[in-house]
Amino acid sequence: MSHLKEFMTPLELQKVSNLQVVARLVVEGFFSGLHKSPHKGFSIEFAQHRQYVQGDEIRRLDWKVFGKTDRYYVREFEEETNLRATILLDVSGSMSYQGDGVSKHHYATRLAASLAYLMLQQRDSVGLVTFDTKARAFLPQRSGVPHLRQMLNELEGAAPGGETELGGVFQTLAPRIHRRGLLIIISDCFGEVKDTINALAQFRHSKHEILVFQILDKDEVEFPFKQWTRFESAEEEDQFRMIDPAHFRAVYLDNLKKFQKELTDGCNRHRIDFTTMTTDRPYADALAHYLTRRLRRG
Amino acid sequence: MTFLNFILLGGVAAASIPVIIHLINRNRFRIVRWGAMHLLDKALRENTRKLQLEQLLLLLIRCLIPTLLALALARPVLKGVEALIGSAKSSQVILLDNSYSMEAGGRANGAFAQARNEAEALLDNIARGSDVAVMTMSGEGGLLLNQTTFDHDKLIRELRETDAGYGKAEAVSSLENAVATISQMQHPHREVVVISDFQKISWPENEAADRQRIMGLLQEAPLPPRLTFLPVGASDTENVAVDSLDFARLILGVGQPLNIRANIRNFGNRTYGALQIYFRVDGKERLRTQIALGPNEESQVLFTHSFKTGGSHTIEVFADADSLTADNAYMASIPVWDKVPVLLVNGDPNPQTLKGETDFLEIALRPYGEAKSDLRDLVETATVSLPEFTAQAIEGQRVVVLANVRQLNPSQLRSLQQFVREGGGLLIFPGDRIDVQWHNQVMATLDGGLLPLPWLDLAGSINDDAAATRIVNSHHTHAALDMFNDPRNGDLGDGEINLWRKLRLRPVDTSVSVVAKLESGDPFLVEKRYGAGLVIQCATPVDGDWSNLPARPFYLPLMQQLVTYLASTVYPPRNVDVGKPLAAIFAKEHAGKSVTLRDPSGAEHKIDIVDRGERALAEFTDTARTGLYIMNAPDDEPIHFVVNTTREESDLRRWDASDVEAMAEDLGASFARSAEAYSEIDQHRRFGREIWRPIFWAVLALAFLELWLQQRIANRK
Repeated sequence: MSHLKEFMTPLELQKVSNLQVVARLVVEGFFSGLHKSPHKGFSIEFAQHRQYVQGDEIRRLDWKVFGKTDRYYVREFEEETNLRATILLDVSGSMSYQGDGVSKHHYATRLAASLAYLMLQQRDSVGLVTFDTKARAFLPQRSGVPHLRQMLNELEGAAPGGETELGGVFQTLAPRIHRRGLLIIISDCFGEVKDTINALAQFRHSKHEILVFQILDKDEVEFPFKQWTRFESAEEEDQFRMIDPAHFRAVYLDNLKKFQKELTDGCNRHRIDFTTMTTDRPYADALAHYLTRRLRRG
Repeated sequence: MTFLNFILLGGVAAASIPVIIHLINRNRFRIVRWGAMHLLDKALRENTRKLQLEQLLLLLIRCLIPTLLALALARPVLKGVEALIGSAKSSQVILLDNSYSMEAGGRANGAFAQARNEAEALLDNIARGSDVAVMTMSGEGGLLLNQTTFDHDKLIRELRETDAGYGKAEAVSSLENAVATISQMQHPHREVVVISDFQKISWPENEAADRQRIMGLLQEAPLPPRLTFLPVGASDTENVAVDSLDFARLILGVGQPLNIRANIRNFGNRTYGALQIYFRVDGKERLRTQIALGPNEESQVLFTHSFKTGGSHTIEVFADADSLTADNAYMASIPVWDKVPVLLVNGDPNPQTLKGETDFLEIALRPYGEAKSDLRDLVETATVSLPEFTAQAIEGQRVVVLANVRQLNPSQLRSLQQFVREGGGLLIFPGDRIDVQWHNQVMATLDGGLLPLPWLDLAGSINDDAAATRIVNSHHTHAALDMFNDPRNGDLGDGEINLWRKLRLRPVDTSVSVVAKLESGDPFLVEKRYGAGLVIQCATPVDGDWSNLPARPFYLPLMQQLVTYLASTVYPPRNVDVGKPLAAIFAKEHAGKSVTLRDPSGAEHKIDIVDRGERALAEFTDTARTGLYIMNAPDDEPIHFVVNTTREESDLRRWDASDVEAMAEDLGASFARSAEAYSEIDQHRRFGREIWRPIFWAVLALAFLELWLQQRIANRK
């Protein structure tokens, strides 16, 4: 079973509607793929047993030890450096694009859910911001199961629409995320690169660690269209371009390359972790990337 | 500019195909809701103009390719541009006069030999790759090799095998054929060269209509051919011809004398003191005589001959006069009959002697047989009653006599109709038994009327001699009654006719002619041609019931004459004019077999006998050459056909060179005295250049350009 979970792609996971189940499948699948117990993970390190004293939570009793010794012991864990993370999820219109696989929005929400699940499993506190031209929902950083449910509800309810305006949104968000921590931005990053980088720089200035997952569809990367196509803007009504895409492919790809380079260079300059994910890649890749980043930090 | 294949110019419409494809593609678009518009917009801003230009160029090239291809296939010719002299290919038709007058001067050195040499020189001089044709001017205006050709050597070989000796040259119609042929040929430089002796008879002077026709032909063609006259032959007009043969066309029996009158004519100015004239029968000389013939004189020679055997024979009169042998002889095919079978249909049989309807007629037709004499009758009669009158009974008969026949059933009528149509003779007598209504309503209306005239009421009275009438005995112009112009052969007005049927003459009907009249003013005998046969209708019966004709001395010769006259139609004809088909009818069982036919040149042709309903037919159509054609019938009996032409060509007077030159000038044509002179003229008048080749190269270049451009755009993608 675990072996199967390891290889579950976003397309396969699309069949599972419950976000929590998806998140759990992704995270557990990921860890089973690493052959490591989640209980020996980075976040929950077992420290020692201690004699039960009144007031301790009953659920923390180690029943196996009680079975062997007939005495009550509780398990104590070495708590990690407490991580405060905020997931910033782009729900603008451009995220609604769907090629052959899942839509960018679909991918992004499940990635956000999986990351949130993983972090909350590790007892980190996680916040969530969904935005397009402005912040649509704001969940402050918390930990615990109820918070996860709340986040997942929020993620499930988020529908893509509106324009992408990373620069403007981030500027309004900066004062609200004042405690330094980790910002995970999940977006296609479409918009003015300069504004985006400036806004990110502002976060960096506030000592935030930033991890950007740029979500792109394979079509946006390869531009495989052959016949005459009417490209209608996903963000602005009544905006369309009628072209024979084959003739523009080369220039488009060239532009994309430049755009990506600008983004990458900008991020590198401000030591922002920038990763491009296409919607056909397993969520686990993103988790791995996150955990690598986390390990480095820890 | 003009086009050789104008219709193919319609292919230019194919230029719209790339545009249509473009529009179709544009209309079959998909819709994508797209996020990365800023990347697309940037690409559009940077590239649209360049792309539009490229696409426009590509579309233009794609439209140009089918347009130019259609243009090249339509074979455009640029007028007003001088062609490269000497190297330019052309289309040429040589119109060769092969009429028999071209044999003047002898076969080896005569006009035709010279014409052949000139034609050969023309073919030698023409640029390789030119398409050429040699057409003849006589008869059907045949095309050598039956087609135009690029193989000049093959055409020259065929030309060397060609002879003259054909019928009259048809100048205008053969020019029409030549223009029609050249209009189908390949090159824009088109030449028609006429090589002829330019006889006055074939090229009539001041025939405005003919001249207009020729000029019209030359001008109306999209690429008018250049016409050149090249006269050949010496202006020698000395010629003697056997102009025609006259002989009685009545049926000829074995032993009966045939009188032949040959008309000999001198077309020249020479005086012949003792011109030898030969009479040949079946190719063997029988008689020889000599006559004196002055300049431009005509003379006649009489020959008489009796054939000892029946069957197909030929006679020929030959004048040993000059080197133009084609008109020195005149032939004719003569069928000679052992017997003339005649079928008598007796509508009122009676066992008593001389009481039957046809009893007197039988005696009149077979007098020797009836008298049990040793002499032989030419006519062989068979008498049948009405029920015995069947298709089998008609088979092989030459004449059918209907005597007082009430009416025929449909099958009898059909057989009789076909018999007459195919050349049989029909003699109809009335009587007291005939069903006038049936005769008038069925027989007189059948496909134009097998009965020449409808019967009307009876006239006269059996008992009243005062009401009787007689046959008008004036001068007879009809061949059947010709002998009664001699009183020694009997007086037709000698008999009395008490009762007769009136006949309804139709004033406007020219198909029926009155052969003899009664003194009452009514017709006695009327004649009508029906198909290839003849029908004669008599107003009174053939027996003695209504008249005393059978008892009169003229009765026997009259009946004999009528029957032999009706039997004389030779069908299909054995003596035909050039170009007319030769045909022979055989019994149905021979259908599917074949016969051989030997033409005057000695070549043998195999002809299939084809089924034609109740008969079988063998037909040969290639009779452009005059002379004797011998067909071997399935029963091994040869059938002789003689093809003759008018003797117009025998008049060798011709236009001299200056006249021909003037005629050429008049028609806008050129005049050349030889093939060499023609080459010089030709080099000075060539205009017009065909430009399909450069257009085709342009199409190829555009195709490569399109490919390169497309690759370039594709690589960028």
